[in-house]
Amino acid sequence: MADTDTLTRTEESVSLDLPWNVVVHDDPVNLMRYVTYVLMKIFGYDEKKADVLMMQVHNSGRSIVWTGDREKAELYVQQLQIHQLKTTLEKAG
Amino acid sequence: MNVSLTLEGGLRIDTKDASDWDLFRSIIHDANARKVDLASHLGELITSEVGGEDWEEYVVPDLREEFQDELAQIHASIETAAFNSEAGAGSLWIRREDAFAWYGSFNQARLALEGIHHFTQMDDLDLAHASPEQQAAYIRSDFYANIQMLLLKHVLQ
Repeated sequence: MADTDTLTRTEESVSLDLPWNVVVHDDPVNLMRYVTYVLMKIFGYDEKKADVLMMQVHNSGRSIVWTGDREKAELYVQQLQIHQLKTTLEKAG
Repeated sequence: MNVSLTLEGGLRIDTKDASDWDLFRSIIHDANARKVDLASHLGELITSEVGGEDWEEYVVPDLREEFQDELAQIHASIETAAFNSEAGAGSLWIRREDAFAWYGSFNQARLALEGIHHFTQMDDLDLAHASPEQQAAYIRSDFYANIQMLLLKHVLQ
């Protein structure tokens, strides 16, 4: 019993530590220049980096725009959705 | 309708008649025309595997409020400016500090129209054979996009 309890706690600890991806998805409405603007505004990226990520969204349909802890990832997803970008959250790796 | 830049970093839109104000009022109507509201639509992207239920409960209401606040803000600006116009000829001022609400409202309208009519999947021939309602919606969507581009280029920094 004790071993099982220990194993459960360890798994929970590992799960919380896994990084999460913030993913922006392409849509036919949001202007490319706006996507760049939003990435610069929310993440503080310079225009060059924001443009690269925007073009990934445009050409590949999606782009991982940030990776990190879950709590911060959720905050970023919320902010991106407030800016009307199609955004999701996924476990990294 | 004429659009010009202001020294304060905003936009000034001069209207000619009542139909111009009706076009602005269409922003709110178009934005609210979708069957599933934008907040719910975005919220559905967060699956249950990553906490979708919590997102629906805690985040979607905030998104919905934000989007409705944008529309309410521009609605007030439109009606005030229309009231002050003379026989429809007047000016609508988009100040720099209000630009995000305007941009967001135009965006809500375009997202809704795209969801209903799927314009980006149409070619010129499809549009030529579209219903008058669809063609009018396309013209409005194109107008909204043009104002958004001006806001992006000159106002939103």
